Order: sequence, then C-alpha cells, then structure tokens
Amino acid sequence: MAESENGAIEITGGSVRHFGLQFPIFLCFQRHFHRTRAHLREIERDRQHQPWLNGLQLLEDAQQNKHVLSTGFKGIDKLLEGGLREGQLTELVGPSSSGKTQLCLRVAANVAIQHKGRVIFLDTGNSFSPRRIEHFVRQISGSVFNEKVMSNILCHSTFDIFSMFDVLHQLENSLKSQGHKGDCKARTLIVDSISSLITPILGGSGPQGHALMTSAGFLLKKLAHELNIAVLVTNHMVAGEGGNLKPALGESWKSIPHVRLLLSRDQGNKTCSISILKHPSLASGEVARFVIDD
Amino acid sequence: MEVCRLPLSATQRGKLISAGYTSLSSLSSASASDLARDLKISDGEALEILNVASRSSRSDNAEGSHAIINGGVPGIGKTQLGIQLAVNVQIPPHCGGLGGRAIYIDTEGSFMVERALQVAEACIEDMSEYSRFLRKDLQTFQVGLQSKDILENIYYFRVCSYTEQIALVNYLDKFITEHRDVKIVIIDSITFHFRQDFDDLALRTRVLSGMALKLMKVAKNFSLAVVLLNQVTTKHTEGSFQLGLALGDSWSHSCTNRVILYWNGNERCAYIDKSPSLRSASAPYSVTSRGIRNSTSNYKRVKMM
Repeated sequence: MAESENGAIEITGGSVRHFGLQFPIFLCFQRHFHRTRAHLREIERDRQHQPWLNGLQLLEDAQQNKHVLSTGFKGIDKLLEGGLREGQLTELVGPSSSGKTQLCLRVAANVAIQHKGRVIFLDTGNSFSPRRIEHFVRQISGSVFNEKVMSNILCHSTFDIFSMFDVLHQLENSLKSQGHKGDCKARTLIVDSISSLITPILGGSGPQGHALMTSAGFLLKKLAHELNIAVLVTNHMVAGEGGNLKPALGESWKSIPHVRLLLSRDQGNKTCSISILKHPSLASGEVARFVIDD
Repeated sequence: MEVCRLPLSATQRGKLISAGYTSLSSLSSASASDLARDLKISDGEALEILNVASRSSRSDNAEGSHAIINGGVPGIGKTQLGIQLAVNVQIPPHCGGLGGRAIYIDTEGSFMVERALQVAEACIEDMSEYSRFLRKDLQTFQVGLQSKDILENIYYFRVCSYTEQIALVNYLDKFITEHRDVKIVIIDSITFHFRQDFDDLALRTRVLSGMALKLMKVAKNFSLAVVLLNQVTTKHTEGSFQLGLALGDSWSHSCTNRVILYWNGNERCAYIDKSPSLRSASAPYSVTSRGIRNSTSNYKRVKMM
C-alpha cells in the first residue's frame, strides 16, 4: 500500500514539477482522501469513536435538546437573549462580594421551580446557604414552601480538584445510566467557585496545573454537551496591569468557557451590573443591571 | 429572629404570639414568672421557652462550618475578639453556649494569658448572674466551670514562620479527630508571616489558597467555625489611598464571610462585608476590662456577644 501511495505521489509530484498544473495535485489529493476516509472508518469500527455528525444533525440536536434556561432576572435574560443555554459552559467572573454566589443560588432556585429540573451545586467555599435558597424559592413561587423543589437542589462540598473530577465522573455515570426521567432530569451544574480549586495548583514548576485546569474545562463542556445541561462556574479577580482587576486563572482559561460574564456591584448599593465578555453568538460589551434583594 | 422561627411546639408558639411576644427582644426582657402568668403555663415550661430563645439567639452568632475573616486596623481589638471567642465557645449548653473547646493559633505573639484569665473570670461572673436571674424563682444554680478550666480548654499554638503555619494547618485535621470537642479555630493573624520575606508572589498565592481550602474542609467536616484575623493595608489607586485587606483580592475570595472592624469616630464598629446568608449590617462594640461588650451603656441584662 505504502509503495503504491508513494508511487502515486511520485508520479504526480513529477507532473507538478514539470507541468505545474493543479489537476494532477487534485488527483493525488482525491486518491489520498479516499484512502484516508477508508482508514478512518476502520478506526471508527475498531475503537468505537464518536461518529461524526453533519450540520443538519447538529441543528436538530440544538433545537430539540439544548434548551435555553431563564435565569429569573429579566435584565439578564434580555442580555443573554433567553438565558443560560444547555450545552454551554458559562463563567461568572467578578470581584469579591459582587454577588456571584447570590446569583448562582438564585439561578438554582429558578431552574428548580420554573424549569422543574434538578440542580447540582458543587460548593468549594461553604457558601451554599439553604436559608437563602428557601428565601428565593418563596420569592419566586410566591410563599408556597415546596419540599419537592428543595429536594431537587443537590449540594456537594469539594475542597480539591481531584475530588471534583471524582464527583463529575460519578455524575456522568449516574446521569447517563438514569436516562431521561421526565421531571427529575438534571438541567444545571453550578461550580462555586472553580477558581478556588485551580489557584492552588496553577503555576509553579510543572505544567500539571495547566493540564488539570484545561482537563477540568473540557470535562465540564463534555458533560454540558452530552447530558444537555447548562454549566455555570464562578471565577474571582486578581490585580492586573495598572491597578485594574482582571479575571483569575490566566490566559489559557479564557478560551475554555463558551460564555464569560463580568459581574460588578455598585458601592454601597444592592444593584449589580453584568456585562458580556465573551459569547459565541452575541456582541460583547452590553450591560444589564439587576438587584438581588434580601 | 422572630418567635415563629423558634424550635418550639406549635401551641407554645401560638400562645406566645397571642400574648404579644412576637420578637426575640420582647422575650429577652421578660422573666419566667411574667411569661408563666401571661401564657397561663407552668413556671418550668416558661423557663424552657426562655432557654430556647436565648440559645437560638446566641447560636446565630457562631454558626458552624463557616470560615470568617475579620479585618481591621491595628488597635481595633482583633486579638481581644479572638480571646473573647475562645472563652465564649466554652459557655456550657445550659447557659446557652456551645460547650466546646477552642484552638488558638498565634502567629504574632499577641495572645496574653493574663487577659484571657480576666475575660474568663468576667464570663463566669456573667454566667452565674444570668442563671441566677433566670432561675430566681428556683434554687440558685452553681455554674460548674472555673476560670482555670476555661484556660485549660484553649489549645494554644505559637507559630514563628510560614512553614510552621503550613505544617500546623496540615496537622489540624489529625488533631481535631483526636479532640472532637473543638468548636472553634482562631488564627491570629493569618497573613503575618506571608507579608514579609516572601519573594515569590505566585507561590504565596498558591500556598495561601491551598491553606484556605484545607481550613474550609476542616470547618465543614468537623462542623466548627474557623475565624481568621487579618490586617488591612493601604492601596494606592489613581492617586487616592484606599484601605484593603492584606494579601489582596485572591485572599478575600477564599473566605465565606467577612467582617470588617473599623473606627466610627470614637466608637468601634463591626460591619458584615461578605456573607451568603446575612445582610450587610454594622454593629458597635466596645473593648472593656471584662472583654468585648455591646457599646450601649444602659442595659439591665448582661448580654454576652
């Protein structure tokens, strides 16, 4: 096989040298392409890789499976043209005490009530407050205490990145085997905050920190796509150039989330503003304001 | 906190509300006999209700499994607060406390034993006066705790370098497994050894965030409160000086709650800056010879913080 391949290339290579026409090169590529496609099909059969999808299949998947979840805040929904999208990794970045955790708790309550979905909350800083969730549930559903709603919000504490990988793999297995169970379908995964888990390992002498960070990002995106859930993570800010704040986790992290939102709170006020830093289909720079009340 | 949230039976709650006791403050100023008369219940039952009310108001202040960071200028009373907390955690349950032990990690050497003894003695006096007040219809009750017991229940560690601090935080897990009655860990102050002589700033961030995660884990697993005392620095931004927490923004992200201690004129105040469940509020306090007390001077009942 290899010899004839080389032979084919040699013949057409010779043609190129002497005649400089595109036609022989096209022949060569076509032959090479057919051979490669056969080879790929072999690999697919042997190792059972994911089959490739065409554009139409992707569109169908997006329309049927990847719904948009409203966040419960009209301003944010308008900014994001609907809300959080299932299948996407959304990052919430903001300085300390800007309302990231509160927004996550509110989104969890809203998804549990309005979309009747299960929410998985990974808490790294002991900031999950059942009291606040109850308050938001009462606020949204109008002071009717719903035990079923509260039992659909699951919280798990993780304090290092390896246990987070553990939890995510277990989640993947249990959710895949469960299938779609109607009401109790998992719809959102919130990690508050992923930067607390990554900062202790990022940097230093080896590249393991970066590798773990990118693997975590890819695993979250894979879960989002395969299980049709919206993933929301929070990140903090560190000092940048000129005394300004910039998001933590550095340059490599910037390309990992699909959507990046910047949160800030006005001084001494309850009003927060949120703006788009990065979005696959919307313009960045738009700002929306909202209030999280007590 | 409202009366309707107290863990009482529905009939007791109903009686309280119909008699006009809707808030905790109205309950705290009532005596057992008044309550018994108003509610038409026995003295013992009234006493139980008052105990439940005082217990829930105090346990609100020291919720387990949170890491709290107190930031303040020097001289504001951070170490005093730390000493007061180490003593208060030992208040026995029948007086409304947690009855636990305290771990005090001292990095600056600012823990003064004589002061702790003073605060402990004042606490015992307050407790006996309080229990005498509560049970004045019944026999006088002896508080079975002496000041030297209180000092014995404070596990004191002195760290002199950052390596010792890191080693100690790693050891805490094993220590608390062996001493299960520890209910509070106070570190005074967490950033002292990291502010000078630490050239590699990236390493400092990594080490500190790792330490914060370990403390969070300890707080969660053993259901105790971790209180970190920190200093403030001046930040120079765009020509103006601003006070910020020492060690910057990544450190302020690492804690669950943040309480800022500051001077309001001549008065010391505490302000909740970050909390997942409490709203922003400030309260004045004063540092007296008996410890930390409310700064309102005219109150009949001794209120313990």
